[in-house]
Amino acid sequence: MISVGGIGVHAWVGGQGDPLLVLHGAGGNRGWTRWLAQVSERFTVWAPTHPGFERSDDADWMDGIDDLARFYLWFIETAKLGRPHVLGHSIGGWTAAEMATMSPGSIDRIVLVAPVGLKPETGEILDIFYFSPAQLLTMMVHDSKTVPEWQELFGRPLTPAEIEAATRNREMAARLTWKPYMYNPRLAHFLPRVTNPTLIVWGREDRAVPVECGEQYRRGLPNATLTVLERCGHLPPIEQPDAFARLVLDFLGKDSRR
Amino acid sequence: MKLYYFSEMPHHEFPDEEGDKYPSLRLEFPNRFFDREKAAANYQRYLTEYEFADQAGFAGLMINEHHSTPSCVNVGVNMTAAVLGRTTRQAKILLLGNILPIEDNPVRMAEQLAMADLISGGRVLSGFVRGVGVETWWSNSNPVHNRERFEECHDLILKCWTEPGPFRWEGRHYHFRHVNPWCLPLQKPHPPIWIPGTASPETAVWAGRRGYTYVPFLVPFEIARELFEFYRQGAAEVGRAVTPDNLGFLICAVTAETKAKAIEAGRHFVWRMGPTLRAPVEWFAPVGMRSRAGTQFALRARPRSLSSMSYEELLDGQFIVAGTPDEVIDRFARVQRELGVGHLLLEAQESRMDHPTTMRSIELMGTKVIPAVTRL
Repeated sequence: MISVGGIGVHAWVGGQGDPLLVLHGAGGNRGWTRWLAQVSERFTVWAPTHPGFERSDDADWMDGIDDLARFYLWFIETAKLGRPHVLGHSIGGWTAAEMATMSPGSIDRIVLVAPVGLKPETGEILDIFYFSPAQLLTMMVHDSKTVPEWQELFGRPLTPAEIEAATRNREMAARLTWKPYMYNPRLAHFLPRVTNPTLIVWGREDRAVPVECGEQYRRGLPNATLTVLERCGHLPPIEQPDAFARLVLDFLGKDSRR
Repeated sequence: MKLYYFSEMPHHEFPDEEGDKYPSLRLEFPNRFFDREKAAANYQRYLTEYEFADQAGFAGLMINEHHSTPSCVNVGVNMTAAVLGRTTRQAKILLLGNILPIEDNPVRMAEQLAMADLISGGRVLSGFVRGVGVETWWSNSNPVHNRERFEECHDLILKCWTEPGPFRWEGRHYHFRHVNPWCLPLQKPHPPIWIPGTASPETAVWAGRRGYTYVPFLVPFEIARELFEFYRQGAAEVGRAVTPDNLGFLICAVTAETKAKAIEAGRHFVWRMGPTLRAPVEWFAPVGMRSRAGTQFALRARPRSLSSMSYEELLDGQFIVAGTPDEVIDRFARVQRELGVGHLLLEAQESRMDHPTTMRSIELMGTKVIPAVTRL
């Protein structure tokens, strides 16, 4: 547990090398999964659980992802991470983008994995609160049969404690993203400030956030590339862990320390 | 015990097989099935029935509000209150009620309620509700703020009614720099406040602390008694006595000359229990809207959903009362004995129950039932 501004957050920490801050999506912190294990061979991974999620403390005063972004800029200082790379998935990606617009010098390279945060120019962001968790899970991935860790992650019924944790996750996600739903209308105006090298990763078959949003991020960020994974939904790190880890390692390994 | 007349103003003017094609009649049943001409006629009809209920001697006329559903097209409870305030004479006008958490301007609500109270000659009973999840979706209001907004909206309305303006309000969810409503209720210090309950212990305790009239809706007697216990806990915390006047109960009820006719008419209530409550759980209870205690209590309060019960089970469970005036008096007396309530709210029209049947039921309630029940 790491206390930031009086809020204790749980964090998975491990590996060796330069620090990499990993910010999870609305589904919660899935821990030391296959892709993370691979990435931690070359980077020291810090994977905190957002305030209000799972085992971390409440932060019911928070109202939006910008609050979470300020919180993690503070986290970087408190945990003495220096100038870490930041990788965020879905709402974690939105958080990483907000952090970068607020303080681009506080972070090094950025990986945005199917981030929400921008209003789609075409299509809509799936209303995750309108569906049951079970329905949602099937919509999140392209094909559950091809997900290597499916059985491990989703194959058994949840314990009462896990149901409680999942409920907390959904409540905090609702607190942070309800209106406007899953985007910040002002974010696009600040993206040009972010000259950090940025990798955007998307699944071609993402049914939660239109892949066109990846193109919007790419256009907005001056130094970004977009990689679209075929036969992949909204959870690239889980659906294609090996390919995803390779992409991340290739990108972060490039020598561009400014 | 006082009786109140209530209609949800349903709009059951479409083929049922069309409604069955959708996951719910709420939110996603397309409004191309809304029949404008029939709706115009129905409003006239429903208002006539309310006016007749006033003449028949009901103590109050209850009105409610829902959105995006054919089960209730009374989409503006304050508008209805203003109309009835002008066209009725005796009965209280019970708004049960305004959905506070989805309201963005409590000052406007305080003004509108004050105006309805003035027009009606001080007959408004002002109910405040948290609403069902459907209204949260309709208004795109964050469900995790539901209770906070309910309480803050309530506090600001009360302040509008009881403290001289101008004043400033800087709260968690509401912010107004210049509050000075030039419309205040006729009743002093303000109209009585009523609160409904279905499953939330917190709401019962909260209402008890304030001495508001508390009315469980369509729950089994033992659950109503438990909710009244929570209410009494709240009242005891502040040393407040609880009388029958603090407690009410809501059921569906219809009467007719013969049992057979009443049983036939009562079948219309099944639509309200079944098809109109059919929906994914997330639509009625979006994430964060209920506390853990509320969720636990709801599971106990409704071991079986109303929508899964047959008409006979709904009759046996006292959710629906349908009979001759004598039978209805007997059932109402039982409610009074079991729960000790001073107010019995009758959802008295539903679905496709026709105008003559509804009017005859109101008439028989007035001539036979109300005189007998008033003595209880």
